[in-house]
Amino acid sequence: MKSNYIVKSILAIAVVSVASCKPELSEVTPSKGNADFSRYVALGNSLTSGFADGGLYLEGQKNSFPEIIAGQMKAVGGGSFTSPLFSEAQFNGSGYLRFAGFKADGTPNIERVTTQTAVRGQVNIPPVGNVILYTKYTGDINNYGVPGIKLDNADLAPYGNFNGYFERLLPGNAGTNNTSYIDFVMQKDFTFFSMWLGGNDILGYASSGGAGDVPTLKTTFSTKYASVLARLTSKGAKGVVATIPDITITPYFRTVTLASLLAAVRATPAGANVNTLYLRTGAGVARAATAEDLFTLTLSSDGVFGVNDPLKGPYGLSPANPIENKYALDKDEVAVVIDFTNSYNATIKAAANTSNLAIVDAGALLKEYGAGTKVNGVGVSAEFIRGNLFSLDGIHLTPLGYAIVANEFIKAINSKYSSSIPTVDASKYRGTLYP
Amino acid sequence: MKKILLSFLLSVPVFGFAQSFQVNLQGQKQTAMGGAGTGLALDEAAIFFNPGAVSFLQQNGVQAGISPLYLKTAFRQTGSNLTEYNKDKIATPIMGYAVFGSPANRLRFGVGIYTPFGGAMHWKEDWTGKYTVTSLDLQAIYIQPTLSLKITDHIGIGGGLVYSLGKVDLRQALPINQSNGQPGTAQLKGDTKDFGWNAGIYVKTEVGITIGVTHRSQVTANVKDGDAIFAGPNSLQPTLPTKFTAALPLPATSSIGFGFYPSEKLTMALDVNWVHWNTYKVLAFDYNNNTTIQDTESPRNYHDAAALRLGFQHQTTAKLALRAGIGYAFTPVDDGYVTAEVPDADRLLLSAGIGYHGTKGFGMDLSFLYEDVMSRKQTNFESGLSGEYKTKAYIPGISLSYKF
Repeated sequence: MKSNYIVKSILAIAVVSVASCKPELSEVTPSKGNADFSRYVALGNSLTSGFADGGLYLEGQKNSFPEIIAGQMKAVGGGSFTSPLFSEAQFNGSGYLRFAGFKADGTPNIERVTTQTAVRGQVNIPPVGNVILYTKYTGDINNYGVPGIKLDNADLAPYGNFNGYFERLLPGNAGTNNTSYIDFVMQKDFTFFSMWLGGNDILGYASSGGAGDVPTLKTTFSTKYASVLARLTSKGAKGVVATIPDITITPYFRTVTLASLLAAVRATPAGANVNTLYLRTGAGVARAATAEDLFTLTLSSDGVFGVNDPLKGPYGLSPANPIENKYALDKDEVAVVIDFTNSYNATIKAAANTSNLAIVDAGALLKEYGAGTKVNGVGVSAEFIRGNLFSLDGIHLTPLGYAIVANEFIKAINSKYSSSIPTVDASKYRGTLYP
Repeated sequence: MKKILLSFLLSVPVFGFAQSFQVNLQGQKQTAMGGAGTGLALDEAAIFFNPGAVSFLQQNGVQAGISPLYLKTAFRQTGSNLTEYNKDKIATPIMGYAVFGSPANRLRFGVGIYTPFGGAMHWKEDWTGKYTVTSLDLQAIYIQPTLSLKITDHIGIGGGLVYSLGKVDLRQALPINQSNGQPGTAQLKGDTKDFGWNAGIYVKTEVGITIGVTHRSQVTANVKDGDAIFAGPNSLQPTLPTKFTAALPLPATSSIGFGFYPSEKLTMALDVNWVHWNTYKVLAFDYNNNTTIQDTESPRNYHDAAALRLGFQHQTTAKLALRAGIGYAFTPVDDGYVTAEVPDADRLLLSAGIGYHGTKGFGMDLSFLYEDVMSRKQTNFESGLSGEYKTKAYIPGISLSYKF
């Protein structure tokens, strides 16, 4: 009987232990440190708005990095956060690019989604030309990300007439607006801000092969960055700013290369012996392309390469019919882009230090991830489509890419303000969608 | 009690846990004594613990047992405030032994069935490390016919051929999103049949101390033509693998053990195990279609690792024995190589048990083993998964025996 009793006791202890003794990790208590996240606002361009796949649409807006940060701030007293979302009925927003399948030659077939958009029309506004207008948004705004905006535009009073994404947030119609971006943001008080502006000050130049835009002057950039920060911190708000990415590492410039173009030509019967391609430089000279010249993703998607002209020869294969400047960032233009990017980033870091703000080196971050690594087992790199980091436009990020950025912002905020906002599991956010 | 045992038996019939995916639950008496027993001629489980000691067993017997194993792992991603736990999954390593031949003779025979390697780690399908593993079921059951020869009254040698029956089923999420945003899934499953051996020497010294030295060989579990079941986006599905080949070394173990007998009622056992994990360098999967999924070669770089075990048995009455033990096992896994399917670290073992042996040869042994695996903060070199792991295991066990 005694042994029976012992047996029963041992079993009882076993059952109780199993039921109650979960392993415990040391306690974590998220804290806001010496910052106040009760009203967080995000300033920035397309990267802040959640722009992806060549468009701004509902899924991207919901997965923007400020949305992710704000969700995590809730653990440390963060208030509600509202992005100017497109409606469910117009969830495709501006329209966007979709990976629809593979072509016969094995290359991806990328289509534009044009249904259920929020486009309400377009208007000609001199001197910028046609501005596409979107269904107006009314309501609270915390995410002030405006695709296309430059730092240079932030204090421009008529800017609400030039940019349909900004016009959408303003009460007035295009042509009647007179509120600058920074004034609009300052209309309602906030306790914390993120600002990731400056990328478009060089992007327009770079993405058009140096043909479509001029970079903002370095001195202008420096002055305006300081004055915008002065406005943002004028009422005591704390914040975080980020450096701009080096656009030349993105798939937009690294997918179509001299090698891939030559390989495509040589795969054709007539092109087997082709060794040289020609481009027109920013200086207007037609010359042989080198491995140091970069080509835009649009050179491929526009379908112009190799097309024969009876008088001038095949496009890109003949000095008389070179690859146009808008598709090529020649090596001198690459140097310009890198020089301006470095200069802007030096300005951003210096200004942030002067204003005692947290800094995210997003440029370095995207270089590091672009070089190839794994995030919780998911491979990421700057490779087009397979890299999972950049979306189908080759410049903007996937939700996974934005989640990686959000975690980096959180880490920078925590480190600056002694807070402990929890990071997210970035691998919960998707990379490229395959058909 | 029967009810509890029954419900355990109905659950997944496999696996275990002790040092990485090695399992040390081969006899209830020994388990209750911290897993020590190499230097003892305690019971039929000597077929596993020391084949040389089998010829010193005073009676023939058969025994069968089971150790339902419950292990709980907590994981928290670096920077996160959320703790994730693995799913409740009871693994049930089994053991059975029979010893024959006349105890008066020098030569004895035996056969053993036991589970020296295994693992059952199931995480939620959407957990943070889902792209590294969602579940791993691994087991190797060894069948070991054994001969044991008492060379002199003081020295016994023994050895057995090991036939290993292995099974592996590894699942993870596939980091290729389908158009609905959901990830794909990958499952690798296969069977293995391999050979090895187990040999030992048992010495009963003049001074009343017994000593055992054993070596269990490595068995390399080769999965040939295993099923690779990938579910991915439609456009890629035809390019995904359907078969795989892999090899997993189940490492050799060398042991030395001592038995001390301070009084007629008290037995002490001290074991040192040396597990030759250094052969586990990589876990490589070779797929039959590499269009989309490349072959993988994941570095493991395990190093040899020791375990120390100390056990006590008190024969309280002629029928009743009480047992207790303590042990410490060093992890074979270096920093940076810890993975979520086997979140290993150094561990402390505490055990206790009770045996009741009736007059008609029937007996029952119960054991309870608690393993406290130290918490470990890790960033895996390969997957980038970064976080802190903490594991505890609770392992009750029972065996029934009949001596003749």
